[in-house]
Amino acid sequence: MASLFVIRGNDQGVRFELNGPVLGIGRDSSNAIQLHDNEVSRQHAELRLVDNAYVLCDLNSSNGTFVNGRLVRQHRLHSGDQVQVGSTLMLFTGPSQEEENLSEKVDIASPLPPGDESHIVHSMTQQEGSRLFDLQADVPEGSWLARARSNLQVMYRTALAVSHTLDIDQLLQRIMDLIFEWVEADRGCIMLIDPETKKLAPKVRRTRKGVRADEKITISKTILDYVLERNEGVLTTNAREDTRWNPAASILQLGIREAICVPMQGRYDLVGVIYIDTSTTPQEVLRKGGASKFTEDHLKLMIAIAHQAALAVEDTRYYSAMVQAERLAAIGQTIATLSHHIKNILQGIRGGSYLIEMGLSQHDESLVRKGWTVVEKNQNKISNLVMDMLTFSKEREPDLMPADMNRVVGDVMELMQARAAECQVTLYYQQAPDMPTLVFDPEGIHRAVLNVVTNAIDAAAEASESGAVRVATEYAPQEGKVRVIVEDNGPGIPPEQLDTLFSPFVSTKKSRGTGLGLPVSQKILNEHGGKIWVQSAVGQGARFVLELPAVLGEAESPTLTPDRTA
Amino acid sequence: MVSTPRVLIVDPSEETREVLKTALERRGVQTLAAGHIRPAIKLVKEHCPHVVVLDLEAGGGSPEEALTRFSAATEGAAPRLLILGSVRRPQIGGYSYFVAKPYHFGPLIRRIEELLTAVEVCARSA
Repeated sequence: MASLFVIRGNDQGVRFELNGPVLGIGRDSSNAIQLHDNEVSRQHAELRLVDNAYVLCDLNSSNGTFVNGRLVRQHRLHSGDQVQVGSTLMLFTGPSQEEENLSEKVDIASPLPPGDESHIVHSMTQQEGSRLFDLQADVPEGSWLARARSNLQVMYRTALAVSHTLDIDQLLQRIMDLIFEWVEADRGCIMLIDPETKKLAPKVRRTRKGVRADEKITISKTILDYVLERNEGVLTTNAREDTRWNPAASILQLGIREAICVPMQGRYDLVGVIYIDTSTTPQEVLRKGGASKFTEDHLKLMIAIAHQAALAVEDTRYYSAMVQAERLAAIGQTIATLSHHIKNILQGIRGGSYLIEMGLSQHDESLVRKGWTVVEKNQNKISNLVMDMLTFSKEREPDLMPADMNRVVGDVMELMQARAAECQVTLYYQQAPDMPTLVFDPEGIHRAVLNVVTNAIDAAAEASESGAVRVATEYAPQEGKVRVIVEDNGPGIPPEQLDTLFSPFVSTKKSRGTGLGLPVSQKILNEHGGKIWVQSAVGQGARFVLELPAVLGEAESPTLTPDRTA
Repeated sequence: MVSTPRVLIVDPSEETREVLKTALERRGVQTLAAGHIRPAIKLVKEHCPHVVVLDLEAGGGSPEEALTRFSAATEGAAPRLLILGSVRRPQIGGYSYFVAKPYHFGPLIRRIEELLTAVEVCARSA
């Protein structure tokens, strides 16, 4: 599905899925794409579905609508287009196109066809391959070939550098390292345009050894303005001869002899500038015969490096926005889910309090006691919710002790009888006859099994025929494993839900599930060195298996089961 | 109220069912209860309650699905429907009333009594 993803602005991280013929964009809540941006008009623009593509139409907004930096009245959007309204910048992603099925045109065959005598003659690592650009003895140093090879090597290393990190600061440091390795610059800095303030902010500063590091790098505003306005790289070697500069301009006052300043042009926008400069004393000029340190070749290569760096900065920003969006979505979902459950528990407590109040006013102790039971049950519910949250969020060591798995599971079955009866579900329990005393965390396993059985009962309640849940324990000494198997005859789990079954706060029970039960069970089993898995298909119920290593307890150790009355 | 008012409570929470049953029975109301829509539909058809208090989470699916399913299945019986939910839903069949959760039980009980009184008035004028 097509979407607009906000990469900058107050709604940063929000993704709007586009699923209608006409979608309004604006500040007003009536818009399908409502933006909290004072610079956006109430009815700013519209997206219209025309011939399977979205056309963006400005609705005479006060500040205009921009696509890829250009003011538009109407524009047919393509994947990757940047849409700006007010100070909100969004990335448009079109619907995924149907891909050509290439599996019929490309075949991976294991055995080679008869008569094919292909064999590997040479293999090479990536590191070895990069030595393509190493200087060779037969190429004279200083020749155009040597220079070209050197340039390619720099570009290759720049590409490697930008691909290996998603941290902007690290990336820019690396870029500057490469530039200083290759160019005889005395000072350099990289400045990025702040997305909010639109002003240049220095991010990296470098000075060559031997050059005063404490001296402030003062960059010519004339140069910066020129580079930013024209989107051109500049090389200045002698300000007096260069007619671009006003003689009264700052470059003369600073006395800088040579400088290169290039724009960092990304896919759509300017993201910053890279600046390097060098001072050459008159004595050095005389000694070297007037040769410049910076040449046009340097300028070309700096422009190319700056472009690579800009693309990497953009990718890093988008990645950060996506990570932020996912984090916010997860937080939002967590808060919504928790609020819902706490609200239900609050409802229960209100009910108990109502009965207590009624009992007190009517001097009816039985009513008071009834109300208190309800309040107490909901206290336990909130306690279980908090325990699940804590279990899930913290790293914990299982509290291992000798225990009887059959008893632990039996306790769960006893606890769930009332719930099963309410849902008209029959519970069956088959204990493994040869279960020895094992070492595990009985509290933890009790909770893990309880969560799975609770889910099974809820699923079986939806069964088309009489609901049933079968629980069995299994001891497999030859494998060194013990298992608890929980089967239900509910509607089954669709394949697309199986992948997210153990994800926190993703519940298939709509508003009733906490979304924590299965993740907590999985965590507990993992802590024991075990695992949990499910086999299910739509219409065929579900079978959950909780498996952990069977660690035998000492025969003389007391057998303990968790105290459920606590 | 009608002479033998009958109220069906459909709520997945056992405590809520217990509280409403207790409070209503003390007011001379006959109560039926179910934790899920499926048995509730059966009870409506068998006992024709005058008012049904339906929590939309009792359906197992979405609130819309629960409401549609229940209304369609009990159309003939046409009880007054008092819906408990998080978000107000559009009225169905002209007999739906809504109470937002979390609610206080006192006002909820009074609302149920009002509905029972309205049923009696309808019955007398018929």
